[in-house]
Order: sequence, then C-alpha cells, then structure tokens
Amino acid sequence: MSWFRENWRVAALVVLLLGSSIALFAPGVGAGGGGNGQQAEATSGPTNLNYGLELSGGVRLRATVTGVTADGVNVTVDNEGDIAESVATALDVDRGDVRARPAGGTVEVYQDVAPADVETALTDAGYEPDSVSVGVTQATRDNIVSIIESKVDATGLGGADVYDIQTQGGDRSHYVVVEVPGQNATQVQDLIRGRGEVELWAFHPGENGTQANTTVLRGNELVEVDQPTRNRQGRPIVPVQLSNAAGERFADDMQRLGFTSQSGISNCQFPDGGYCLLTTLDGEVVYDASMGPTLAQDLRAGTFTNNPTFTITANSMEEARQLQVNLQAGALPADLVFQDSYYVSPSFADRYKPLTLVTGIAAALAVAGMVFLRYGEPRVAIPMVLTALSEVVILLGFAAVSGLALDLSHLAGFIAVIGTGVDDLVIIADEVMTEQVSSSRVFQSRFRKALWVIGAAAATTIIAMSPLAVLSLGDLRGFALVTILGVLIGVLITRPAYGDVLRRLLTDNR
Amino acid sequence: MPRFEVPDVDLSQYSMRQLAAPPLAVLIIALAVIGGWMATTGSPVSPGIEFTGGSELVAESNAPQSEVKTAFETEPVNVRQVGTGGNQYLVTFQSEEVPSIRENSDVNLDIVQSQSVSATFGSSTQQLALLGVVGAFLGMSVLVFALFRTFVPSIAVVVSAFSDIVVPVALMNVFDIKLSLGTVAALLMLIGYSVDSDILLNNHVLRRSGSFWESVDRAMKTGVTMTVTSIAAMAVMTIASYIFGIQLMTAIGIVLVMGLTTDLMNTYMLNVTLLRWYKFEGVSR
Repeated sequence: MSWFRENWRVAALVVLLLGSSIALFAPGVGAGGGGNGQQAEATSGPTNLNYGLELSGGVRLRATVTGVTADGVNVTVDNEGDIAESVATALDVDRGDVRARPAGGTVEVYQDVAPADVETALTDAGYEPDSVSVGVTQATRDNIVSIIESKVDATGLGGADVYDIQTQGGDRSHYVVVEVPGQNATQVQDLIRGRGEVELWAFHPGENGTQANTTVLRGNELVEVDQPTRNRQGRPIVPVQLSNAAGERFADDMQRLGFTSQSGISNCQFPDGGYCLLTTLDGEVVYDASMGPTLAQDLRAGTFTNNPTFTITANSMEEARQLQVNLQAGALPADLVFQDSYYVSPSFADRYKPLTLVTGIAAALAVAGMVFLRYGEPRVAIPMVLTALSEVVILLGFAAVSGLALDLSHLAGFIAVIGTGVDDLVIIADEVMTEQVSSSRVFQSRFRKALWVIGAAAATTIIAMSPLAVLSLGDLRGFALVTILGVLIGVLITRPAYGDVLRRLLTDNR
Repeated sequence: MPRFEVPDVDLSQYSMRQLAAPPLAVLIIALAVIGGWMATTGSPVSPGIEFTGGSELVAESNAPQSEVKTAFETEPVNVRQVGTGGNQYLVTFQSEEVPSIRENSDVNLDIVQSQSVSATFGSSTQQLALLGVVGAFLGMSVLVFALFRTFVPSIAVVVSAFSDIVVPVALMNVFDIKLSLGTVAALLMLIGYSVDSDILLNNHVLRRSGSFWESVDRAMKTGVTMTVTSIAAMAVMTIASYIFGIQLMTAIGIVLVMGLTTDLMNTYMLNVTLLRWYKFEGVSR
C-alpha cells in the first residue's frame, strides 16, 4: 500500500486517462443529446464527442419579446377582463395585446409602448402598479418557447432546440433562443418573423357603398387542422374543423353579411368589391376566395353546424404548409425582435474540426520543441509534453461523458490549457532540478515549494476567467469553463503526477 | 542539437532608472495611443460588430475582391480575405440584417457563414465585457495582495499586469485589430497568464533563501522558459489558424503573443526594479 500512497497521483492520472479514452472512443458511452440546454448534435464520427452549432452547422437566433409588464397589480379572476379592456383602450392597442394575469398580479402589454404610459393607464383605471418595466412575464416566455417548438416541429426541422436565457445586462435581459441544425437559415427566420396569426376575414359591401372587413374566424377557434392537400380544382388547401360554437357563429355571420344570398355566392372581385373570404396571416391578405354554392347551401340549411368543416385556401402548397404550421401551433402572443443571428453551413462548419485539430497539434509541437530545446534531456521533456497532452485528453473525456456540445471557443480553450499546463510543468522541473536531487525528502520539499507558485498562478487564472464563465457573453463561456476546468485538473492531478514521475526518474532512492 | 538557453543577463549592472525607464515609457506611449484613440473615435479600441451591432458574413467565391464588394444590395463597410486559400471573403456590413445578394449580380458566391447583431444587443454585450475585464482585474489584484501581503511586491505584480493588458490594446489600435469576444477572452487570459511569471519572481525573491540577484536569476531562468514556450505555442496557433481562416483563434492568439511579449519586458525590467527598490531601500526605511 505504501507504493500506492506515494504514487497515488500517477495512479489517478492513469485511471483518468483510461476512463477518458473509454469515454471518447468506446461506442455507446458518451452522453448523447443536449443535456444542458445546449444544442448537441447526435454523436457521429470516430469519437463520442458532441459538437455544437458552430462545428456542425445550423442556425441560431436570439430574440427579445416585445412588451411591457406591470407588477403588483391587484388582478383577480373577476376584474382581469376589465383591466385589460381599459388598458387597451387607454393605450390604443388591440384588446388581444393586453394580458392581465391574476396568478402573479401582472398586466402585460405586448406592444412597444412606454412603461410610463402603461403606469398612467393602470393608475387612471384605479389599479396602482408596484413597478412597470420593459419585458414580459416568465409565463409568456414559456408560452412563446412552446409555440415556437411546435412550429419548428410542424415544419419538420429535426433536432431543434428552443429555450429562453437570462443575461445580466440591459433592461431587455431575457432572450428566446432558437437553434436548428442544418441548412435552413431563412426558413427558421421566416418561421418566427411574424406572430403567425391566421384569420379568416369576410370582405363584403358595408354601409353607404364602401367595402368592409369583418373577422369571422380566428386560428384559436379551430379544433382540428389537417395536412395541406389540394381541392378538386387543384388549389392548395388546409382542411380545418371548427369548434361547435365557432361553427354556429360562422354560419350566422355568413348569413347576416349576405354571403349566402344570391348576390353573395361566387361573387368576389377583391379588392374592388363583392363578397370574399380572405385568408390572412398577421393582417396581410394571403388569398381571396368566393363563397361556393355548396357551402352556401350547407350554411343556409343548417347542415354546416352539424359538421363544421371548412377549407382555408392558399396560393401555393408552400403557403398552405405555412398556414397549417401557424394554425396548428397557434399565434405568438407578442412580437419577437431578432437581436442576434448566426448561421454556418454544415459543410463549412465540418471543416473546422480537422483544421482546429491540426492547429492544436501544431501548437503542441511548438511546446514540445521548446521544451526539448530548453532541457535537452528526454527524461524531463518527454513526460512534460505527455502530461500537457494528457490534460487535453482528460478534458475531452469529460466533454464526451457530460455531453458538452463542443464549439470553436472550447477548442481554443483546449489549446490555452496546453499553454498554461506547460508553464506549471516548467516550474516543477526547474524547481526540482536546480541542484542534484539526492533523496526523496529533498525532492518533496522542493516540490512543495513549486506547488505554492503553481497554486497561486492557478488561482489567478481561475479568478481572471470566472467573469467569463458567469457572464453570458455568448461563445466565451465555453472557453472560460474549459480553461478553468483544465487548470483544476492540472493543479490537482496531472501536474503533481508529473512531479512524481520526475522524482522516479531523477532520484535513485525510491 | 541547438539548445534554447535563457540568456544570462546581468541585470545588476543597470541602474534602477535604466531598467524601469523602457517599460514605463512603453506604458505611457500605450496609454497615449489609447487616449488619442478615445479622443478621436470615442472608444479606447475600435469595437467589432459583436459590440456595435451590424452583420458579417463569410462568402466563398472565385471572383476577385472588388466584384464581391459590389455583389450585395447594401455596400459593405469592409471586405477582406480570410485564410490563405484565396476564395473566402469576410464581408462586414453596418446593417443589422445580412443583406441579400443583388438580383442582377453575376458574381457567383456562396454564403457559408453569417452573423448579425442588433445595436442594443451589442451595447449590452459591451457592458458585460467591460464588467468582465474590470472584475477579472480587480479579482486578480485582490488575490495578489492576499498572497503576498506586502504593498510594494503586490503592486508590482498589479502594475505589470495592467501594462500587459494596456500595451496589447494599444497595439490592437495600431494594427487595426477590432475588439471582439475573442480578443476580450485573450485579454482576460492575459490577466491570469501574465501574472504567472510575476508571482514566480516575487516568490523567489521574497520567500526563498539566497541573495536578491541569485533569486532573480533563478526565477528568470524558469520564468523566461515559461513565457517563451507560451509565446511559441500561441504564435504557432495564430499562424496556423490564420492560414486556415479560424478567426476566433487568430484573434486570441495574436493578443496573447503581444501581451506575453510585453510581459517579458515588464516582469524582468519593471517588476524586478520595484522589488529591488523594496529589498534594498524600501525595507530599510
């Protein structure tokens, strides 16, 4: 056991190296999938490493949610409608853009309005808020995240990741992040560019000769949305089913507005006049259709309400698919403003991997070359280079086990670890070799002195890097975490182990 | 086999003034450059799009640079080649959205990477980055004072670390390297990295037996080896990543090379002089 007591660091190093190699190369060991909210590609290639967006290709969008939130408002189930109504009127925004939540006592306005105006509106209505600030509630963000998730799913983009993050700076410190692997940059952006509110408008002759628009169907009144298909005329359509209540209201509206009358059927001259059913997305007219005779018959006879199915027409299959995605996922409660977008094509990203590997090897060779030139003694230099490299292997093993999605910044961190690692090894080697080492005891005392310097140097590196690890500065968190972890592994295990190895090589006394 | 020997410089033959003057002069020049930059541009170093907002893309094209420049709907503020392959261009725009390729453009190019940042996001990133650098520096200073518990040796480390950051920042202005997240990371690394040799020197002089100059000599042998090895590794990383067009690593590498080279000068001229004054004159007072 005494052998073990003296050499436990070397033993630990060997165990860690073996473990890391297994984690890296044995099939089925690595933790696949993004376990920590990070985008992680399915493991591929010869190792179990996961690669993030920058190294596997894809698109990442960060957006803020437009809105203002008042806290500490006395909202109850009874008055929530009144509050929303009066705030919407006072601020001249849509009723749907104001949301009062009894749960947290919050009132949100999903428009880019001044917080002071919201405060005034609430105070005037008799509800004094505690504070009003830019941003929306967690409940809204969660809702947005789940809507975007279902939109991405409905589009068939696999492997997507949607989450919200908080950063420390500025008043809009919450971001909704969407990460989608692959080559679909514009598609993803289009998917969340607008709120995705699909409505059916009736376009009909109003009073004194003008045309009027009336909303007759909203996306949230549908109970079923089917896959887009083509109707008998070859038009792309989305078949939908209305709730019973919506079906009845729709039938009433159609008859009241004259769509089922003789002049209403098959009489659409949008935008000049007549009777049209307009498919709209975010307030933009996508398609205009006239009332068909069969549907008019059904509506009049009341058979429609027994089976309220309907088709929403589009110009192209692509448009139909977009409508279907928006209908299925529902509309976003508020607008998103893109703050930051990043795209890299998969083939371009892929080539970073071998290139960084070569860069890393070149840097390691430079270190090895300097060490050999300096010491000229293979007994000192070879273990030194091997120790520095083993730190990288252990870090990679850790990455494979934890499922950390590697990005360029991590790889830069690995190279930095080789650099700092060698610093410490040089300190150990110089300290130990200043004079002829005669015994284990002399060695121990020198070694301990060297460790003080190494510990102090490691502490400063960790302190200097910790702001990056805590602050949300995008890419750099990975760099900082890898550097800190590398320093810890180095100071606690590999660099002392190098000392032990050196002692065995330099002292005759065991 | 050629050997790399740390040159035996007899620092004791120079007066304190002679030793301390060059690093102080360099520091003053660096501060003047940064000050001048601030007076003319409003910021100590030109920030990249990550901090100001804007967009940037990497395009692959066989067309010459002048044609790539005209291929977009918005005129780019800057186009330059990435890597040494000759067909990759880094195109920077002021607009917050990546502009499309002009419809009537006959330049054949492929956008392989793009990034756009809004101005609000950029300025919040800038605040955070500044907070990070200041926080890291203060944390390091407190730690150094806690380690040595004496004023002069501690302040020597802090001053030389300060200069190790200020000089590369001034050089960034001179060489037109924009401040990016990569260079901020490199500056933070410098804070941690460059004090290694200072701590080593202080430790040898203050905590070891032997004469002042013997201690300095021993510390120098180890310290110079360390720093030169790191410089070699980072220089190779800079060159390799430049050839391959990996911008993040080039940015980190080049700032570290500049900072570590500054550190060689600061540690063995400025820091040594402060310690010498402390040992020979400060203590006896």
